[in-house]
Amino acid sequence: MKTEIDKGDAIAGILFILAGLFFAYQSLGMELGTSLRMGPGYFPLVLAGVLILLGVTVMVKAVRNEAEPIGPLAIRGILLILPAPIFFGLTVRGLGFVVSLFLTALIAAFASRKMKPHYAVLLAVLVTIFSTLVFSYALGLPFQRFGPWLRF
Amino acid sequence: MDFLSNLALGFATATSFANLGFCLIGVILGTLVGVLPGIGATATIAMLLPITFQLEPVSSLIMLAGIYYGAQYGGSTTAILINMPGESSSAVTAIDGYQLARRGKAGTALAVAALGSFFAGSVSTFLVAIFAPPLTVVALKFGAAEYFSLMVLGLVSSVALAHGSILKALAMVVLGLLLGLVGTDIYSGTPRFIMGIREYADGLNFVAVAVGVFGIAEILRNLESEQTREVMKTNVRNLWPSREDFKRMVAPVLRGTALGSALGILPGGGAILASFASYTVEKRISKNPQEFGRGAIEGVAGPESANNAGAQTSFIPLLTLGIPANPVMALMVGAMIIQGIVPGPNVATEQPALFWGIIASMWIGNLMLIVLNLPLIGLWVKLLTVPYYVLFPIIMAFCSIGVYSVRSNVYDLYAVAAFGLLGYVMLKLRCEPAPLLLGFVLGPLLEENLRRAMILSRGDPATFATRPISAGLLLLSLVVLIVVFLPQVRKKRDEVFVEDN
Amino acid sequence: MTYLRLAGLSVGALCAASAAFAQGYPERQITMVVPFAAGGPTDTVARLVAEKMGTDLGTQIIIENLGGAGGTLGASQVAEAEADGYTVLLHHIGMATSETLYRNLAYDTLNAFEYVGLVTEVPMTVLARNDFEPADMAAFIEYVKANGDSLTLANAGIGAASHLCGMLLMQALEVPLVTVPYKGTGPAMTDLLGGQVDIMCDQTTNTTKQIQGATVKAYAVTTPERLELFPDLPTVAEAGIPAAEVSIWHGIYTPKGTPAEVNEALSASLQKALADPGIVKAFADLGTTPSPAEDATPAALKEKLETEIARWKPVIEAAGVYAD
Repeated sequence: MKTEIDKGDAIAGILFILAGLFFAYQSLGMELGTSLRMGPGYFPLVLAGVLILLGVTVMVKAVRNEAEPIGPLAIRGILLILPAPIFFGLTVRGLGFVVSLFLTALIAAFASRKMKPHYAVLLAVLVTIFSTLVFSYALGLPFQRFGPWLRF
Repeated sequence: MDFLSNLALGFATATSFANLGFCLIGVILGTLVGVLPGIGATATIAMLLPITFQLEPVSSLIMLAGIYYGAQYGGSTTAILINMPGESSSAVTAIDGYQLARRGKAGTALAVAALGSFFAGSVSTFLVAIFAPPLTVVALKFGAAEYFSLMVLGLVSSVALAHGSILKALAMVVLGLLLGLVGTDIYSGTPRFIMGIREYADGLNFVAVAVGVFGIAEILRNLESEQTREVMKTNVRNLWPSREDFKRMVAPVLRGTALGSALGILPGGGAILASFASYTVEKRISKNPQEFGRGAIEGVAGPESANNAGAQTSFIPLLTLGIPANPVMALMVGAMIIQGIVPGPNVATEQPALFWGIIASMWIGNLMLIVLNLPLIGLWVKLLTVPYYVLFPIIMAFCSIGVYSVRSNVYDLYAVAAFGLLGYVMLKLRCEPAPLLLGFVLGPLLEENLRRAMILSRGDPATFATRPISAGLLLLSLVVLIVVFLPQVRKKRDEVFVEDN
Repeated sequence: MTYLRLAGLSVGALCAASAAFAQGYPERQITMVVPFAAGGPTDTVARLVAEKMGTDLGTQIIIENLGGAGGTLGASQVAEAEADGYTVLLHHIGMATSETLYRNLAYDTLNAFEYVGLVTEVPMTVLARNDFEPADMAAFIEYVKANGDSLTLANAGIGAASHLCGMLLMQALEVPLVTVPYKGTGPAMTDLLGGQVDIMCDQTTNTTKQIQGATVKAYAVTTPERLELFPDLPTVAEAGIPAAEVSIWHGIYTPKGTPAEVNEALSASLQKALADPGIVKAFADLGTTPSPAEDATPAALKEKLETEIARWKPVIEAAGVYAD
């Protein structure tokens, strides 16, 4: 019987170990206390230890009879979807809700290969109009519609 | 008598013109968003949650509950029609529901799901109404030790909800627990794991984490296969199930309702576990187990009922103890706190109109759903023809607005991106996000109560065993642990046996 | 994107300069930052006052909840905001205590703000679980002194009103109690109701309903005079521990450099709002009273902040608890 390494499990194991190490290292920088009077570092250190152990076990079990493929990665999606909320966060105060949201929707729209530029603009405009009416006017959320960067 | 007058108060509150309206809006919004491919109840609520902030508490929570049920129904519809479950609970429905649809019985499957859910919802609403108050009395007996043991039980049950590797689910729970500890330690004031970013001093925003690991990760997953995905034109006429279909669905619906109601009360178990458990039970009981996976009506009726019953009864720990039984309930807790209501044992007595109003609106919401859903199935199918690439820029815009509006903290938006990436990576590595989110919610409670119990007992760990409720809960955790791991062990033995042959 | 940002920034700078001319203030809506979550006691105070002030000023005052890190996040946002009078801060006693509680504060409390005035001073009450033995405040003090470290004292987290009051109480009684922190008033109160902890000291905003419902035992109020609401409760001074006198005062601030006439205009509007019968009634429901007109002034708030920073510094340092 052929033995393979399941890449997914191996990577998951490594990530769990790394996360565990990060939390363990950070916890050691804090007061640990005793089990009777625990400090801020005690509980996370225990958990981090458990996470590392689990990570090692997941890795060990990655060696098995049949491996499952990881499949395709949505690279374009990662590059355009993830920056959308970040962009919104960076600009919502400066540019204001309306402009910031329009650009956020526009960025996200290009995550799909199927999206044509003029449709993307149209979609972003519609989303912006709808959201401004609903969230800003109807629901009265405390957003500045146009921010100080645009104020004349 | 008390029960009846309470219920009367509840119905009086829930049937006020405004609240009926909010319930209806919630149900419609929830269904509309929930029916969209790839968006489940959790993401829907995360997105629509902020909309409810401006309302008064009762209306807000009634609308949220409506959104929740609506999203559940909507999710099942998508799962059946195009095999695109919006969340893990409707994933079970998809197994046989989609097969029924392919055999031209989509209408039957949808109707069975809707009727089963309605029955389960009605029964469990009364369970909530009857058993929530007695639980409230017990709730005040809960001190730190009891809460700790309850959290342990919740965590142990949350492992059982995983359908993949239990090991990885455990690791995700622990990772979630650790992420939940990010922020200022309430005992010493020490900032933990915030990397010098003071904006995270009060912890990572739950909505940001939920939107990230569920919503964004789901979008990315859909984007990777956008060439292949297509909306199948499904014939959804022939709505009503035949007499024989009815006969076949009665027992599974009853069993599903019982199972779901019981599991829904358990924190960490909830609706998600309920549908899986029901599917397993139905498959084991059935005389024709080979039919499962090929379009068995029982495989839709059971899990759907269990799911809805669990959704209902998972309000019990929330309403009486203030403990979220699942990620959706955790969002409800957030909503309550934003409304200035600290969910806890006092809610039922301090806010009877709110408490009973929500319970009454559960049933009303379910009634509205069945009235809406059966005739509107045709419309849902039309909605599904909206191309995905049009949908997700809208989703991104809405979730950005939603997360930001929770506490006007732009770092929460950065957290959305970070957790979106984490969620997607974990999805690719076949690690489920639900255990992580449950860990995230339970983490701070677990530590807080552990340390508080130790302080209160002057450092005597025996407190967990000598307090009867705490001891009982820990014992129950042990039982759950055994039930969860026993089949695994048995499977191992079988494997060994096979290899020996 | 950078172009847009740069362009935006320079426009913003121009705006700030022109806004220094406070003629015709206010011309647009004012944002009142509340550095705590929506729905809490401070948020409620802010929403009540903002509505009335807005009506008086002829503009809308919208509340923005910028919670986090004990109110310091919201305060630092306002400290950095344009000093044009369109961003104001409503903060409570935490404005003074965070100067000591947070050792690496992002702003210099005394030099980052201008003052509008005091809004209200919320009284506090000394409570215990319902079956706590002592019958009155004298017996309470005696009992606490005798049983010291076997008693538990709940608070709602570092920097919370209940934490500050607890520290004062312990120092005034010269007894260290076992401190049990909670995340917020709700769970702390729940445990007090359930008898899991012994003592708590908290704002009337949180305790009035419980005291009236006799679910907890009230022993004293922390104000200089008895409260109309609880005429039977003695003050801490009457009980012989005047050092435990404390109130959760709330004030309105603007960023440093805000024109004096803007602050005066806001102060005048605040005084009018506080005299409004609707506000008096709403504040009474919360268990407090509006500050008198002479306290709702920039000078009074400035003085309050200075004396309170000086007062809390030694208390917090003696307790050795910091929130950073």
